[in-house]
Amino acid sequence: MVDENTNAGGQPLEEALIKAREAQRRVTDGRWVRLFDHFKREWQIYAMLLPTIIWFVVFLYKPMYGLQIAFKDYSIFRGVADSPWIGWEHFQTLFANDQFIRAVRNTITISFYNLLFGFPAPIILALMFNEVMHATYKRTAQTIVYLPHFISSVIIAGIVITAFSPTAGIINTFIGWLGFDPVYFLTQPQWFRPIFVGTGIWQEAGFGSIVFLAAIAGVNPSLYESAVVDGANRWQMMWKITIPSILPTILIMLIIRIGNVMEVSFELVILLYQPSTYETADVVNTWIYRQGLQSGQYDLAAAAGLFNAVVAFVLVMTANTLSRRFSRTSLW
Amino acid sequence: MRKLSLAAVLLTGSAISTPALAEGHLQIVDEPLELTIQMNHARYPIYEEDWPVEQAAREMTNIHLLNDTVGANMRTDENTGRTEALNLMLASGSIPDIVGSSRIRDFVNQFGPEGAFVPLNDLIAEHAPNIAAYYAERPDIEAAVKAADGQMYYIPYLPDGKYGRAYWIRTDWLEALDLEVPQTVEEYEAVLRAFKTQDPNGNGIADEVPFFARQWPELIRLVTLWDGRAHGSDTYHDFLVEDGQVSHGYIGEGYRDGISNLARWYEEGLIDAEIFTRGSSARDFLLSENLGGSTHDWFASTGGYNSLSSEIDGFAFEAMAPPASVGGNRVEEHRRILVKPDGWAIGYTNEHVVETIKYFDFWFTEEGRRLANFGVEGTHYEMVDGEPIFTQEFLDSGPVNRSLYQAGAQLQARGYFQDYSYEVQWTNEFALAGIELYDQGDYLIPDFLGVAFTADEQQVYDRTWGSIRDYMLERQQSWILGNGDVMADWDAYLAQLDQLGWQELMGVMQSAYDRQYGD
Repeated sequence: MVDENTNAGGQPLEEALIKAREAQRRVTDGRWVRLFDHFKREWQIYAMLLPTIIWFVVFLYKPMYGLQIAFKDYSIFRGVADSPWIGWEHFQTLFANDQFIRAVRNTITISFYNLLFGFPAPIILALMFNEVMHATYKRTAQTIVYLPHFISSVIIAGIVITAFSPTAGIINTFIGWLGFDPVYFLTQPQWFRPIFVGTGIWQEAGFGSIVFLAAIAGVNPSLYESAVVDGANRWQMMWKITIPSILPTILIMLIIRIGNVMEVSFELVILLYQPSTYETADVVNTWIYRQGLQSGQYDLAAAAGLFNAVVAFVLVMTANTLSRRFSRTSLW
Repeated sequence: MRKLSLAAVLLTGSAISTPALAEGHLQIVDEPLELTIQMNHARYPIYEEDWPVEQAAREMTNIHLLNDTVGANMRTDENTGRTEALNLMLASGSIPDIVGSSRIRDFVNQFGPEGAFVPLNDLIAEHAPNIAAYYAERPDIEAAVKAADGQMYYIPYLPDGKYGRAYWIRTDWLEALDLEVPQTVEEYEAVLRAFKTQDPNGNGIADEVPFFARQWPELIRLVTLWDGRAHGSDTYHDFLVEDGQVSHGYIGEGYRDGISNLARWYEEGLIDAEIFTRGSSARDFLLSENLGGSTHDWFASTGGYNSLSSEIDGFAFEAMAPPASVGGNRVEEHRRILVKPDGWAIGYTNEHVVETIKYFDFWFTEEGRRLANFGVEGTHYEMVDGEPIFTQEFLDSGPVNRSLYQAGAQLQARGYFQDYSYEVQWTNEFALAGIELYDQGDYLIPDFLGVAFTADEQQVYDRTWGSIRDYMLERQQSWILGNGDVMADWDAYLAQLDQLGWQELMGVMQSAYDRQYGD
């Protein structure tokens, strides 16, 4: 036995094999060694990256496996893998449903208003804060406008419902002083969007201004100094220096925002809407919630969610491409 | 066996003295048998192994239930949380030996035929004489429990007592304004208007809220005053049955007339302006602020508000008979349903199905039923002249319902037959007087007990009912609030329902109904 494993040179066969393999590998050695050295040298950076990668894998990539139920007749008991395929049936159901189409339309409309009124708000706020000279006043005002961001949607909805209540609300009390009848705002479809968008601005404009304030702080002070020498007033400095300087930030924020167009903060919608305001208030995610989750149609809900994601993906790609072409600013 | 009763003496002390235990005739197994259980309900999100009732049941049956609840949420929401817990359990891939939950019926009737739960028909016939005896007496309930394949997959919680909600009115306000208790819808309207305009609370401001409701669908029930129908069962917006035909309240002409009148009432201020947004605290707030005039709500809890008479001079909130409708009918649409969609089932991995069904049957024996209803003898109640009577100490220890839940009694996620006498003992006099009034009048109408669908029917139902329901509620609220006129919109409304698949939906409802209750 031993003899058979020994070659002419007296070396054991195994040892010879290992040597032969190593000789082969030496050809590509450079790349692997370099990579290994790189990791060995920079491992701390990768260690820092790891939690984010894990987060993405666990919460964003792994759930994608479940997306297939959008094309299946899903039963929780049978599980994702064993439920039968049914093709595009759920999508046909979706697009045959008037209420879903209306929800898509409402989502886009509300997002458009949000973009139109909600997006400039923090920029204007940041520019205004930038012009405030009194330091204590500035700090106090900033703290006050940041605060609503930290309040949960449930509380916000409570405040809004109370404020717009027809009997006890501050808004209707004010309307009463002016001699008009109280308006039951939250049950009237035409008032839902203004209230919703307004609430969103009130809640997020302050916090959203932080990123623009940071951008403004990064503008080279010598630009302002030379402008002062040239006799520019503050208005001119804002238009000619501040805004052009933070334009890349604005565009990046705009692209991100467009990517979120389909993501109207639906928990606030759920808390504020009523059947009588579905007409203007029902968005895709609330529709998914009612039809999909409350009545347990997970497969249909997954199809609607997938549709949502595809639309958002197309929008963000388009915005990014346009931005890169016209301003040379882009996310990637 | 001897060893075990010794342990029982040490463990439960007084409980051992009950005759049932001494005889041991309820014992199901010789050696203690442990079964896992998922139990989830808005009032008790998990099964607690140290509930006195569980301890007593252990001693009697020798079966020990171990809590294995998935998705327990201490803030379980009334509508979604409980079924979500069931879905989570199923998604987790393992089903405990026993699954108890509210709203379990549709769940087991869907997943039972797929194999997730054990069919019970043969088991009941062979091993559960007490459950079988109950069904022999109530074939209608047996039919209501069955899935589309004719099998039963769960043992239901069976409420006892007939009455649920009633009309309530501030009788002291009636006296102050020199008015009689309204007997017809016209008189009711006049009384509500007087509440609005004649300042019965005497503060000089017209701040009274004549009609209010904690749950706004209770407002819709008022369409019965115009001979319409709202909710076919104690589930809001449910279907109804008339002469064997499935239908829905929201397509009837009485409903149309009712909504039209309610819109008029709303505009006049006879209905709480914030009825749709005020929410569950409406009753508490409007009564304690001396603002609310009339409502439609539960007997026991609403009668309890008469304790406010210590703070509000002369406060009296009493039940009144349903006012006669325009057609002269006195109807109370709400009643306690005969069988709840709550109860418990056997998971498919259970290796002791015979013992489990015997255990389910135990709760239908005399001793088991008493344990489920009244708790443990000696601790919660004493036998007086052969009747279980709560001890004064227990009645004084806080809200009786809650105390019973905390002892593991009156669990609606357990399949058992409620005994209404448990409730009479602590129901307040105002509620009892109201129940008496309703008993004399015989105002109740039959409930829709629900249907079980085949997979194909389920698909049609899922596709159509959600959208139809949304549309119905959307129009309903809009009409009452004055955004649109129900009389003018009616034909378009019915046409839109047809377009949303109304006929198709009615088709599957009817075929399911005929299969389940026909012959």
